[in-house]
Amino acid sequence: MIGSRQARLWVLVAASAAALAWAVPFAWMAVASLRPGVPVDIASLTPAGPFGLGNFAEAWKSGSFPLWYFNTFVMCAGILAVQLVTISMAGYAFARLAFPGRDFVFSLFLLQLLLIPPLLIVPNLATLVSLHLYDTLLGIMAPYFASAFGVFLMRQTFRAIPRDFEEAAMLDGAGVAVLIRHVLLPLARPGLVAFAIVSVTAHWNEFLWPLMAVSSPRNQVLTVGLATFTSGAEAGSAWGVVAAGTFLVAAPLLILFLIFQRRFVSSFVSSGIK
Amino acid sequence: MTDITRRTAIGGALAVSAAAAMTRTALAADPVEIDLFFPVPVQGMLANKMKELIDRFNGQQQAVKATAVYTGSYDDTNLKTRAAIKAGKPPGAVIMSANFVREYVINGDVDPFDPIIEKDGKKPLEFFDNFWSALKPNAVIDGKVYGIPYQNSTPLMYYSVDAFKDAGLDPEKPPETWAKWLDAAKKLTKPNGDRWGINFPGTYDYCGWITSALVMQNGGQYYNHDYGGEVYYNAPSSLGALTLIDTLVNKAKVMPPGVSDANACTSAFFAGRLGTMLLSTGSLSFVRDNMKSPYKVAFLPKAVRNAAPIGGASLILPKGNTPERQAAAWTLISWLISPETAGEWSRFTGYFAPRKAAYDLPEMQKFMTDHPDAKIALDQLKFAVPWFDTFNTVAVRKAMEDQVQAIFSGKVAPADAVVAAQKAADELLRPYVEQTALKAIG
Repeated sequence: MIGSRQARLWVLVAASAAALAWAVPFAWMAVASLRPGVPVDIASLTPAGPFGLGNFAEAWKSGSFPLWYFNTFVMCAGILAVQLVTISMAGYAFARLAFPGRDFVFSLFLLQLLLIPPLLIVPNLATLVSLHLYDTLLGIMAPYFASAFGVFLMRQTFRAIPRDFEEAAMLDGAGVAVLIRHVLLPLARPGLVAFAIVSVTAHWNEFLWPLMAVSSPRNQVLTVGLATFTSGAEAGSAWGVVAAGTFLVAAPLLILFLIFQRRFVSSFVSSGIK
Repeated sequence: MTDITRRTAIGGALAVSAAAAMTRTALAADPVEIDLFFPVPVQGMLANKMKELIDRFNGQQQAVKATAVYTGSYDDTNLKTRAAIKAGKPPGAVIMSANFVREYVINGDVDPFDPIIEKDGKKPLEFFDNFWSALKPNAVIDGKVYGIPYQNSTPLMYYSVDAFKDAGLDPEKPPETWAKWLDAAKKLTKPNGDRWGINFPGTYDYCGWITSALVMQNGGQYYNHDYGGEVYYNAPSSLGALTLIDTLVNKAKVMPPGVSDANACTSAFFAGRLGTMLLSTGSLSFVRDNMKSPYKVAFLPKAVRNAAPIGGASLILPKGNTPERQAAAWTLISWLISPETAGEWSRFTGYFAPRKAAYDLPEMQKFMTDHPDAKIALDQLKFAVPWFDTFNTVAVRKAMEDQVQAIFSGKVAPADAVVAAQKAADELLRPYVEQTALKAIG
């Protein structure tokens, strides 16, 4: 009894330490964003003040945040919508259908995970140009419509669902489409939610590909917009404004996470991603 | 301010109409649309200022409609430009880190400016005399003009007047030699990191830039300015420079160990915890706006001679544009480098204006009188030397930077560092050297 209590205490301590390490940068960002000018003790987590919202005002007027929010939202939602369809269907094919070379094709899919994305910038750009998608939001989205990670995740999720459900539905005369739509997908929801979180955070935070694929200011997304007034190679930075801008970029995701925290955690636990 | 703006607008309008008149395609009814890729290498509202300039350009003439496209850091801009050229969508013009121009020439990814300059009835090399001569080696390659300097800098020594007084040093007499610099640094340094005598950024890019400055002050060439296949990392001048760094950090302990970035240097400087720092002239505006106590600037201390390497960016013409688009790009470039526009950009950013005539304008002369620190940065130009550029520039630069960073951490002796850096650099340069200098004759 005492032994298990001690073990739980240790787990709690370790988890708190990890949470603290994760939280410190956010805490610093929040503190720094409230401090005007370039304070001497900018690294401090508990400064004396003064505080103010001036940095947020300056960051907001340095860029076109409403446009960037809109573009980023369209991009993330568009990618996710198409991905959910493609990964469910491909995941089903790899999990349930028998066809020659299935495992070989699946290994090819997984191999794709080993490629680092910057390697594909030039070929992808050339494809975009030939499809007349260069410098469009659709162009940023296109390469992500198929996701090897998502297919893998859905295949595993489908395989974990007992076949009894499908067999019962088939006895009632359900075809493949009905089977996927009304039997498998509802049961696979934790997997889909887990994938959605990974997908949206990844694309929300991505910098390099949107920078490459889009040129017009009207198609700019948050990350690239943020960099226009925060990166400085030859000079120091006004950390307060940088922190405020970063806060504006991260805020929607942070708020979403706080609202749906409980559901997210249970999705990750039941989908096996931890 | 309004006075300056009005005068600039009039001057700019003249420059535009002149440039437009020289461009035959400007007579076409529809404006030619071009992109200008630009990086933001210094902090501040530069992106907004650039948009303001381009809007003004678009408002003053109808032949060209330019769009300013922000493209990240110097490295991101390089990556995006390369990818865009390869994908067949080159921008009309790019503001490119000046030390990447040679690689674009080696890879055949840029067009020379010579034909367009000749169309204007000028000789390309004579036209280039409009710019400070130290800018030439990074822009004029194999006798052709591939880069038009746009914003340039050199390292500069910034020092805190209060720290000098506190240490019993005369703020009117900054150290002029390495020996005096080290001596002053010893007096400036307080125990427990309360105040350091010297610091400069040791992050990639900055590290190589400052190292090359020290080597060149020590009489060295650092790299072959005319041929992209040779570096002189294992030369006495380089060994001396690395030994100085080793002394500052590990022996005299007047410089903080480990790698500092530019932010760490400026933060410590503003806080009075740093006596002298080497930083870009491009930081002048930032330091001026944020330093609360008095500071001064001075030439970099010398060893054998004075030397300060050029930094900054040039305008280039990416390969793959139609003559019509090139002409449109030239109209934009001519306006951007007009003394009026160049001067305005210089006053806003802190960079010096590469166009010499910019300093003849009354508003520029007034600015120099009002800001003696900018005057010193300009005076140092007579000692300016070209910026490191070779085949595979970034990797070859890092071969030395990795060793210097190891010295910052006290992990390697200078004598071993120069040998290791030379060996790594020679490996990286070999493919180019075999295609050029060592190509079998006949």
